[in-house]
Amino acid sequence: MANPVLSLKNISKNFGMTAALADMSIDLYPGEVHAIVGENGAGKSTMIKIMTGVHQPSAGSLEIDSNAVSISGTSAAREQGVAAIYQEPMVFPDFDVTENIFASSTTEGWIQRRGKLRKKALALIERVGMKLDVDRIASGLTLAEQQAVEIARALSQDVRVLIMDEPTASLSAHEAAQLRRIATTLAEQGVAVVYISHRLEEIFEIAHRVTVIRDGQHISTKLVEDVTSDGMIAEMVGREVGNYFAKAPTHATDETILEVKDLALEGVYRGISFDLKVGEVLCMSGLIGARRTDVALSLFGILPASAGAIYYKGKPMEMKSAKQAMEAGIAYVSEDRRKFGLAMPMSIRENTTLATLAEFLSPRGIINRCREAEVTEAFRERLNIRTPDIEIEVGMLSGGNQQKVMLAKWLNMKPDLLILDEPTRGIDVGAKAEVHDLIRDFVANGGAAIVISSDLPEVLAMGDRILVMREGHQMGIIDNKDASQETIMALATGQTEAA
Amino acid sequence: MLGKLKSWEGFLFIVLVLIIVVNASLSPFFLTFNNQINLFQLSIEKIIVALVMTFIIINAEIDLSVGSMMGLSACAFGFMFQAGVPAGGAVVIALVIGGLGGALNGYFIAKVGLPSLVVTLATLIGFRGLARVLVEDRGITDFPDWFDALGQQAFAFGIPFALFAFVILFLILYVVLQKTAFGRLTYVIGTNRDVADFAGVNTGKHKMKLFIAAGIVSAFAGLLYAARVGAVRGDVALGFELDVITMVLLGGVSIFGGKGSLMGTLLAILIVLNLRNGMALNDITGHIQTGVIGLLLIASVLVPRLKLPAFLSGHQKGAKV
Repeated sequence: MANPVLSLKNISKNFGMTAALADMSIDLYPGEVHAIVGENGAGKSTMIKIMTGVHQPSAGSLEIDSNAVSISGTSAAREQGVAAIYQEPMVFPDFDVTENIFASSTTEGWIQRRGKLRKKALALIERVGMKLDVDRIASGLTLAEQQAVEIARALSQDVRVLIMDEPTASLSAHEAAQLRRIATTLAEQGVAVVYISHRLEEIFEIAHRVTVIRDGQHISTKLVEDVTSDGMIAEMVGREVGNYFAKAPTHATDETILEVKDLALEGVYRGISFDLKVGEVLCMSGLIGARRTDVALSLFGILPASAGAIYYKGKPMEMKSAKQAMEAGIAYVSEDRRKFGLAMPMSIRENTTLATLAEFLSPRGIINRCREAEVTEAFRERLNIRTPDIEIEVGMLSGGNQQKVMLAKWLNMKPDLLILDEPTRGIDVGAKAEVHDLIRDFVANGGAAIVISSDLPEVLAMGDRILVMREGHQMGIIDNKDASQETIMALATGQTEAA
Repeated sequence: MLGKLKSWEGFLFIVLVLIIVVNASLSPFFLTFNNQINLFQLSIEKIIVALVMTFIIINAEIDLSVGSMMGLSACAFGFMFQAGVPAGGAVVIALVIGGLGGALNGYFIAKVGLPSLVVTLATLIGFRGLARVLVEDRGITDFPDWFDALGQQAFAFGIPFALFAFVILFLILYVVLQKTAFGRLTYVIGTNRDVADFAGVNTGKHKMKLFIAAGIVSAFAGLLYAARVGAVRGDVALGFELDVITMVLLGGVSIFGGKGSLMGTLLAILIVLNLRNGMALNDITGHIQTGVIGLLLIASVLVPRLKLPAFLSGHQKGAKV
């Protein structure tokens, strides 16, 4: 093999106390499609950001043609021949294909001659191997075509390493095939293609070598001939189950609180059917783009479903608004604290009582602040919210404590069904365990919970049953006793179809 | 949140006291009862509208059409009066027009989801156009005595009706904003509308109510203007929206929503009125007065951005990640 074009030598990256990458070494050779796989949060994005100069490594070095380089930013990366394209193509919607390809070009001089550029654009599109009219306006192109434009833009700047970060995650099967062909074509032309995907079948189709990373560490790099999908999943998942959080006995009763039949939202998800018992925790597992949050938002009335039926406490219900869902006793704890969960500049007290403000009004409609404070103080004690004062801005709290304020807001509603979306994302292990205990308490006392989580040990620790989704489809429901990280991942990546 | 706002209000209060002391020392007329009443009377319509504008801006919206609505209501009143409608009935209809105009704004902003800046810019033009169509530039006068008296004479204790209206409206709105669920939600929606939506709040309805209130109050203020001047023309209250917004922003209400208080707006109103009055008493012309107010507004936006001791900085730093 030739010399590597880009090498990561013992790269580490720390964010504060967290090590996102530890001692990572990878060589990228010209002409190869190098797949990188790992769970959500394994460190793939950090790696890309270091290769494209968005982040600087805390330790270790980058080498291009065996010379150590430092890449100070994305434009420096482009100059060195490193470019990345993402799931969402970044094109200028009102420019045509030619203008998009040369939009950021600095090599074409001040005055750009349309005819000359157009000819160059034609050649580049040809190199990409896609049939595309270079005079078309970008907003009318399909996602795959927009990505082809982005790739052509990278080629116009003599790209040598092209990083494709989940390029097919939001594409149809046909478009995804087009894009995979492009990756292969470019590799044949001598470009080193880094291909990141959760679709394992794609990797077997186009990759030459596969690197598995987990928890920021390099696990293995192998020729694709030498790996099996089971082996790859086992390496991705890695850590032993049971040493993280143990599964507690179920509290599930015979009483059904929620039944969902063939629920669908056009163009987003379909065929979602499950039931939920009082006392039960149902976990929803899946990779990014599985559309679990959309299902939850339909149950909560924010994003009403377009087909199918929801039976709640035995009665058919059309969830049309959050208010309606709340009146029925359903609470939804959002995955995005900043955007949907908390009014950050407002106080813990004001956030805690937000969903139940009507309960704190005097007959004349005046808010009873003393009662608000009492209730908030009670939650502070019960949920162990660590703060000097409940009048402090929620934005000043740590992630774990913010999560608890959000839980307090919804627990105060005394819901019967609690939907929690990534309830422990970005919070430390101690707070995680506390949140898990709260959920268990909640179901033990007559509630029912749906927990959406991308953290497999958490799913196995919390879920009495696990519903796995993939790209808007329900892939199966597994009983906890039959579930392992491997079986979940196999469903989530589409390797198997459960009964 | 409230603690920090109080400190900005404290800052405004100090500025206000300074202005009053300087004014009083420069002019013996300043502290006379008549001058104090006059000081309010000359801007009474604007400061009434500033009270509802405070709600709108805290809600992270803007209403540029208030000046035009004042004009429209005054002109509609004049037009109807001239056409033989009894003045009392014309007043009621003018207020209804205010509510409808506000509902029009609210429909496009809350239901259709257009930006309030664009919608109310359009109605600023539209309402004004309608006002000019109704009255043109000829002017309508000779309103009934009781109507003119309401604007020009003392109502009780030597204080005119409009000032009573301002004080009562302030007290009511203060309670609504600081003590009721509606007020709390005004802040929450202004801080982050999605959070309110996800908490089951009908945020569209809330915004609708605010714009209807702004329309009615503007119409009311337009009628007060007609009564005070005793005449209406198509250009009544032209450009008033800018003075109104200036006072609200000077009061520490964040143009990005979620922050501010009626006490801040009140202090800003008093600062602007006293400053203008003091300059007028010292023969400083209106244009210079306006320039000084402009400088004051820039300072009010700048000061919180400077690194000041905590008791002076009104706006908090970004939240911890």
